Amino acid sequence: MTRRTLFLMGLAGAAGCSRGNARRLNVFNWSSYVAPNTIPDFEKEFSVRVRYAVYESNEEMLARVMSGNSGWDVVFPTNYFIEPMRETGLLAELDHGRLPNLSQLDKPFQTPAWDPALRWGAPYMWNATGIAYNKKLTPAPGAWSDMWSPALAGHMTMLDDPVDVFAACLKKLGLRANSRSTGELIRAQREAILQKPLLRAYLNAEVRDQLVSGDVLAAQLWSTTAQQAIDASPEIDFVYPREGFAVYLDSAVILRESPRKELAHELLNYLLRTQVAAAIVVAARTATANGGARAFLPEAIRNNKTLYPSAEVMERGEWSQAATPEIQRLRDRLWTEVKSS
Amino acid sequence: MKRGLALYAVAAYAFLHVPLLVLAVFSFNSSRFTVWEGWSLNWYRAALHDGQLAEAAWNSILIAVASTVLSTIVGTLCAYGLWKRDAKWLSGSLYLSLVTPEIVMGISLLVFFQWMFRFLHVQLGMHTVILAHVAFSLSYVVIVVVARLRTFDASLEEAAMDLGATEWQAFRRVTLPVLAPGIAAAALLAFTTSFDDYVITSMVAGVDSETLPMVVYAMARRGANPVLNSISTTIVAALGALILFSERLRES
Amino acid sequence: MTRLRSLFLAPAGVIIGVLFVAPLAIMLVYSFLTRGAYGGVTADVTAENYQRVLDPLYAAILLRTFVMAGTATLGCLVLAFPLALFISRAGSKKNLYLQLVILPFWTSFLVRTYAWMFLLRDTGLINSALMAAGVIHQPLPLLYNDGAVFVGLVYGYLPFVVLPLYATLERLDKGLLEAAADLGARPWITTTRVVIPLCAPGFRAGALLVFIPCLGAYLTPDLLGGSKTVLVGNVIQNQFTTARDWPFGSAVSLLLMAFVMILLMLLIRRGGEKLI
Repeated sequence: MTRRTLFLMGLAGAAGCSRGNARRLNVFNWSSYVAPNTIPDFEKEFSVRVRYAVYESNEEMLARVMSGNSGWDVVFPTNYFIEPMRETGLLAELDHGRLPNLSQLDKPFQTPAWDPALRWGAPYMWNATGIAYNKKLTPAPGAWSDMWSPALAGHMTMLDDPVDVFAACLKKLGLRANSRSTGELIRAQREAILQKPLLRAYLNAEVRDQLVSGDVLAAQLWSTTAQQAIDASPEIDFVYPREGFAVYLDSAVILRESPRKELAHELLNYLLRTQVAAAIVVAARTATANGGARAFLPEAIRNNKTLYPSAEVMERGEWSQAATPEIQRLRDRLWTEVKSS
Repeated sequence: MKRGLALYAVAAYAFLHVPLLVLAVFSFNSSRFTVWEGWSLNWYRAALHDGQLAEAAWNSILIAVASTVLSTIVGTLCAYGLWKRDAKWLSGSLYLSLVTPEIVMGISLLVFFQWMFRFLHVQLGMHTVILAHVAFSLSYVVIVVVARLRTFDASLEEAAMDLGATEWQAFRRVTLPVLAPGIAAAALLAFTTSFDDYVITSMVAGVDSETLPMVVYAMARRGANPVLNSISTTIVAALGALILFSERLRES
Repeated sequence: MTRLRSLFLAPAGVIIGVLFVAPLAIMLVYSFLTRGAYGGVTADVTAENYQRVLDPLYAAILLRTFVMAGTATLGCLVLAFPLALFISRAGSKKNLYLQLVILPFWTSFLVRTYAWMFLLRDTGLINSALMAAGVIHQPLPLLYNDGAVFVGLVYGYLPFVVLPLYATLERLDKGLLEAAADLGARPWITTTRVVIPLCAPGFRAGALLVFIPCLGAYLTPDLLGGSKTVLVGNVIQNQFTTARDWPFGSAVSLLLMAFVMILLMLLIRRGGEKLI
């Protein structure tokens, strides 16, 4: 055997060893949605190597998994994405026998409207869309209509998402955020077109830094991202608009293409543990669907008005719903027209 | 006029390099924000400890090397073949691939791989990314090598064959050495476009094949992040050193 | 003789056939099908997708994309020529100067875009410096507008124009320049009346290398423009992600490509120069 051959064999062996004999699991989640030790602890306990990557929007996630051969096992879609994903055959049904911790969930999340038997997703974290603003604004914004104020021109942003922007417009008009009426959506679009010249930009999570630095004074933002901004700067505050707001739930789902469904179930069950969920909340400032976990939270977080608003605030909230394909097409076209105006 | 040109050149180079210099300077800033706070290597340390980043960088290099080798070899042979006599369909397709917007190429490949999956159980991964990169860099290689071939005197090859060489020998011993700089330039181009690609890669990448541009994009989307500054500074410094070094080699 | 040549062409043929032509053919088929209820395609054949593209909304988007790509291309051509001229006259340092042009290009284009965001923000460097110097009291809105997109695109594609212009300048017959000087023309006249027209192939090649990618650009406009405009690239990307309307997205993509091919053929016919 030449030295060269030996060397190459050694390399091959080394390459093989680095992969290890550990089982694999590929998890694709929202950014800043786990605690630093959530995944490592899971890896240790179940002798698994987890590949963990993050995304910023449902569309980004869907673009990667829609091919049906992406390689991901567990993803975290928002509730209104579950129906389309199910219809296109992307999801695997959950085996409740492997998920005893489902009972830890808060009552409302055990039978959500979009998935009453929890056949497809295990509720994870929920949040709502409101307005994050700089406290030096007087008067402080309290309603969606404040985001149409010329005084804020050039210093406010909305989310780069037709679902959220139209929901805000519909609420401003006193309509349901999940309206399926063509006429109402067109009225909402008109509002959006009126608002556009006043906006600085359509931004998602990246607006957080601009809020902190003072570039942006008011932004339509999700409650968890807003809480992260508040943590970074005492000048930021968050409000749930008077007219009402959309509420979302992110669930953990198992993709049908996954060859590791049992292991995926283990992960879902692990995430439903009260200790684990509580740790995630403390680290990532999220609002958990896990009722048992709430008891574990420190006082300050349990009563945090941004993450866990009072019941009367939640009255104004409206759970987001999947749109019918026709409505989605319409909304899409209307959104293109808004951006094009 | 000469002075005017020189002044303009200074301004142009400033335009080209100042943004990167600024990134570099602020990669040493201990504060997250634009206010200068003090010298610090924090962000470099953070970048080094980021396992995902290291893996993405390694993937990028691997993919770039593999796709460059493949596309350079195939492209050079193709350019030589086309130079001898045109093949309309092939050169037409190469033109087409040149003018296809990246996003169209990425999506068409995604759709194609999805069909492949149905029949061959091909999963998205490093191999799909490498194939995609070869597909789009092939036309660049062909153009560069053809340009070089156009300055090549065909009679040299004929002379070699008159002296008894086979066609293959003439190609290997006569043409190829003359083509070498052109091939090197083409390889460099292929490497750069592969290393830098985001749009096509993001569409066809699998779980294990995150590349550096994908990580950079994800970080940029989450907001200003000085770790990005340190990454880009490192890349530019490394490549700049490589270029200066190769210049020295060439001059000596 | 020809066997060797076919052997040489075969690998390229296979790769382009399988990885380029076949995927495009699939997209062509898709463009005539109908969207499934939640995504994907059904087998209903229709020309509806192409009809939809003729809608004034998309015509406006196409026009806007053109204008943006056109201005970026013009900007690049104007800014690149003097630089290419300088490099071609630089004597022994030519190579070094050329490398310096390409060096920024070696970083990821995202990093370059990110650098500009860092510079142009309200609390970015340019505004902070101007405010510190007392030149302005309120930050200038440098980011999230068309100007920022223009700068970003020009910055990203400038090297693509400098290179072909430099190549053309190098191949210029120096005798012509001497003749012009002998006839009494001042350098400025020589440059504008002799050099620039002779560089037409370089301008054409450079313009092509900028215009075409700009037509499909959507990331730079999104990042630097604040997602406030819709360009053809956004439309295409949207159809394959959020809207899940693959047939329509395929139709738009193919029409864009057809248009670019026509443009290319026109340019080549005029210039007579073949790239491949």
